[in-house]
Formats: sequence, structure tokens, C-alpha cells
Amino acid sequence: MHNINEVYDILQVATFDKATSSDMKRSNANVNTDSSMGAMLTYGSETARLWIDDNVLPWFVKDAVDNNFVYIHDKDFYGLTMTCCQINLTKLFEDGFTTGHGHIREPQTIGTAAALACIAIQSNQNDMFGGQAIPAFDYYLAPYVEKSYWRNATQLNKMIATLGGLPEQYGRVSELAWNMTVEQTEQAMEALVHNLNTMNSRAGAQVPFSSINYGTDTSLYGRTVIKALLKATHNGLGHGETPIFPVQIFKVKEGINYEPGDPNYDLFQMAMRVSAERLFPNFSFLDAPFNAQYLRDDPNTGHSDPDTEVAYMGCRTRVMSNVNGSETTSGRGNLSFSSINLVRCALTAKGSFDLFLKNVYQAMQVVEAQLRHRYEIQCNRHVYNFPFLMGNHVYMDSENLDWTDTIEEALKHGTLSIGFIGLAEAMTALFGEHHGESQETWDKAYSTIRFMRRFCDDKTEEHGLNFSLLATPAEGLSGKFVVKDKEDFGVIEGVTDKEYYTNSFHIPVAYNIGIEQKIRKEGPFHELCNAGHITYIELDGDPTANIQAFEAVIRCMHDNNIGYGAVNHPVDRDPVCGFRGVIGDTCPCCGRREFEAIAENRRKEF
Amino acid sequence: MDEKIEKKYGKGVGFERIARITGYLVGTTDRWNDAKQAELRDRVAHK
Repeated sequence: MHNINEVYDILQVATFDKATSSDMKRSNANVNTDSSMGAMLTYGSETARLWIDDNVLPWFVKDAVDNNFVYIHDKDFYGLTMTCCQINLTKLFEDGFTTGHGHIREPQTIGTAAALACIAIQSNQNDMFGGQAIPAFDYYLAPYVEKSYWRNATQLNKMIATLGGLPEQYGRVSELAWNMTVEQTEQAMEALVHNLNTMNSRAGAQVPFSSINYGTDTSLYGRTVIKALLKATHNGLGHGETPIFPVQIFKVKEGINYEPGDPNYDLFQMAMRVSAERLFPNFSFLDAPFNAQYLRDDPNTGHSDPDTEVAYMGCRTRVMSNVNGSETTSGRGNLSFSSINLVRCALTAKGSFDLFLKNVYQAMQVVEAQLRHRYEIQCNRHVYNFPFLMGNHVYMDSENLDWTDTIEEALKHGTLSIGFIGLAEAMTALFGEHHGESQETWDKAYSTIRFMRRFCDDKTEEHGLNFSLLATPAEGLSGKFVVKDKEDFGVIEGVTDKEYYTNSFHIPVAYNIGIEQKIRKEGPFHELCNAGHITYIELDGDPTANIQAFEAVIRCMHDNNIGYGAVNHPVDRDPVCGFRGVIGDTCPCCGRREFEAIAENRRKEF
Repeated sequence: MDEKIEKKYGKGVGFERIARITGYLVGTTDRWNDAKQAELRDRVAHK
């Protein structure tokens, strides 16, 4: 049992310590815990964990957690809410929605639609503990570009009539109205990017974790949205800063944007140029077989139904298969996830692969039972606990629920995810090398993860719930397991000799490996991790100077069945002269060293 | 020397370094937890 002094310690640190000197206050890098509201959030979050430990968790779960085999993510929210959701803006806008103080009608212009998209993300974020995504941003906003166009044309016609109306003036209306519409769309996207980096949620401590998927709408209006959004991202914020949100995900698809001659090929090219400069967009690959299998045409339009295109949450979460209803992206998300410490499973197996798998199996059994325990509590919450998410029918099948109903009918469409960390260190503990170093060890690593995926599929069938396997994002978790493992097993080279464990199935970040090799080795794990996956490639230098190299990486990802990928490269900025690009010890623009002033003889240039 | 002017021209002002933490970005890397900062230091470029 925890004692009251632990609570006092937490309150003390949250109140008086600076985040830079307290790791607890930096558990999520996008939350400002130095602010008053952020500290209040820390009070609640950190003390709730103690109560959950002592009064809510089943004993065998607590045992597995205490023994460092299992980690329960967002434990502070255990009984309160779910992780994340993909929001269908078309459905939300057409019906109108309520934010608590009045009804919002359907928007009539692109400017209003973009503003309301931000409100929807912000409001829904307040009902959940994870992120919020828009799965088909281009498709959803295209109708409002069209509405703006007709509104502009009508107004121009009226103005011309008032001014006397010459036939040649009327003849220019469509061209002028279109130019106005493009400009309005650009303004709307610029405002959206600014809003999503400034509008606070969750009592003011952070902006919403927003993600936006787009790239496949080939209509004139949809293309205008994509182009304007990419342009706004290229321009950056007020002083040219790189926008942190929304996470942008460009959907790559053959026949749509992948090859020269495809209708959105120009936008794919533009997306790569912007990403080479701004780190976003990331890229998702709809042709990967495990994503392509869900694609269907919309019988009404004859085009691909955007709701059957897999969309990602920015962090990597993916929700698609569904044993309880339609296999589409929108209105669904992850309900909760817990991760397994593969390194612990290996260290306690004393070099035996069979014993390692047995440990993994036991840990998965604990997590599976724990996820169902949490699911039961979640299902007994009521619509009135989620005024936006359920009250406005954002979640699938929530439209049939009354205000005082419990929410199982909606939640059955969500996913329960079993995650993992440290595949590389686990292999090293067992075989003396990780899965990037030999085919033999890679085969062992692959069979481990395939074994874990089969477990999830079996449990899905057994319980009629969507269990899935997650390559855990592990921001907060990265350094947690290793501390106790180091205490118990000592410092082991390549296993416990760092401050962190390697993310999910990734090849260790410090290992020298070629681009193609890394992609080839990680690709097959994407198919197995159906709850989410990502592969990064690190480039040094400024990729805007070599777009061909950047494109080669993206094409290599596409060809090796990566589901979701991103290219990392240095994005540095000197706030004094405004330079952005690669900065080493000195700024290439103004020549100053970090923390030093610009030399006096150069000051008049800036 | 006028401290205010020195500050305006960069005295005490660090460079901003943005990096992908785990799918999403973070404004500057000084808000990362200790483990993720260690991982960031270890990252090598792929050729």
C-alpha cells in the first residue's frame, strides 16, 4: 500500500520543481507542467496512479507490473476514458453539433469548416486521454471549398449588377470567384495550422494531439485543400517556426498519386518537398497488402470510399479490422493499451528461446485479462461522461444511445492493444546480437512477434473483442523498464547498458545500417503489428538540397510494404536571426555560437 | 555593455532543435524525458 507521504511528495514536486529538473514533470514532452494548470493536472494524474494501484488493479496484474514484465499506459485514466478517435467530419458537420453552450449549424464556407474542424478536435480531446485524428481531411473539407466558390460567384454577380453589369464583366465571374476561393482556402489552412498549435485543451496544459490524414481526394476541391495545407506547412508559423501540430500523414497510393500521370502525383511531390523541410507530412502506404485488403469503392460515386482507406493516428496507432461491425476507419479508435517488457522476458529465460516465449505468453495472458478488466469499467461509463464524443455521436454506433445509457454498444468497435518494447535488447540477451545483425536472429525476432500476433487473433475470436498487437510508441515508457532490469541483472552490454530500451521492433538507433537494409528488416513487422507501426529513416544534412534521396527513401518504404513511415533530419532554428536548417556549433547565417551574441561587426545585417 | 542589447543579439539564447519523438514532434528537445534525450543522442544517420 502507498502511504500519504508519497502523495505529499508528489504535490510538493509538482508545485515547486521546475520541469527541467524533474523527470516526472517531463513524462509527456508536449504538456507544460510548469504552468499552473499543468501542475494541477500532475496532482491528479500522479496521485490517481497510487489509488489505482491500491484499490482498482487485480492482484495478478499488480504483480506483473511490480515484477517489471508489464506496463499499463495512462493508468491515471484507468476507469475514466479511452485513448483516441478518428473523427468523421462529414457526419459531424452535416448533423450539426453541440459543444455545451449551444448548437452549431453546418458550415457554409471553407473558412468556417476549417475553424470548426479545430473545435471538433479540441472538444473531443477533452473527452479522451490520447490523440484525435481526421482520417480523410481532403474528402471531408472539399464540399466546403465548393460552397465557398458558389457563394463567391453569387456575391460577384450581385456586385456587378449593382455596378451596372456589362456582359464581359459577368464573363469573368467564374475565374474571379475561383481565385477568391483558392485564397480563402489558403487562409483557412493557415489559420488551422496556427490554431492547432495555439488552442489549449485539457485545462490549458497542452494543445490537442491532432493528426490529419489526406492525399487521395482527386477532385478539384479536395486537391485545393491539400495544396493549401501543404503551402501553410511550408510557410510555418508567425516567425517561420516549424508547426508541431497537426501531425500530417500523406496517404500514398498507386493510381492516385504514386506515379507520373497519376492525378495527385504533383501533390505527392509537393508533400515530399514540404516534409524534407518541415518533418511533416509523414507517409502512409495504402498499397501495403494489409492496408489494401480493406479498400472498397463507394457504390454512389464509383471512386474509392475514403472510409475504407486505413488512416493513422500521428503517433502510429492504426484501427481497421472489426469483429463487431463495419471495417472502416472513422468513429473508432484504441480503447486502451498495455505493454510487455520483452527484455525482462529474455533476461529471465537464461538463454532459452522456448522459455522466453513462455514468459512472453504468460505476460500476454496477464495483459489480455487486464485489458478486459479495464474494458468492463470503460463500458460502464455513461454517455453523459462524454458530452462530445458520445453526445454528438462521434463514436461508431453511439447515435442509438440515450444520455443516461452505458456505452458498451459503441466501445465494442474499439481496439484493445497489447504492445511491446525492446525486441532488439531481448534478442541480444538471448543470442548475443540483435535482429539487425544476422538473418538467423532476425528469424527468431520475427517468429516472436508472429507468435504475439497470433495470440491477439486468438483472443479476438475467443472474446469477440478487437485485440490487436501494437508496436508501442513508448515516449514515457522508453526509460522505465530498464531501471529495474539493471538493478536486478546488472549492466549487460547491448541490453541494459543504456538509459532506454529500443522502441518496439526497431533496429537500435545507434546501429550503423543502410537505408534499404533497415526498411527491409522492419517492413515485415508492420504487417504483424496491426494496432500500429512506424519506421523511421534518419538522414543527415539538409534533405531539401537532395529531394531525389528523400524520394528514394519513400519509394523504398512503399516497395517493402511499410505501412507508415517518416524521415528524420535535423530541423534547427536560430530564433535570433530566424535561420532554419542544419545548425552545428555556429549558426551558418549570423555566425553566432549558441548562447553567445552575434559579433558586433555583423549586427547591422540583422 | 548593455545587457539588453547583448540579449537581443543572442546572448543566452539557445538554438531550437526539433526532432520526432515517437511519430509526433515536440517544440524543442529540452522537454524530452531523460531516456528519450539519451536515445536522441545515440541516433545515427542511415546511408
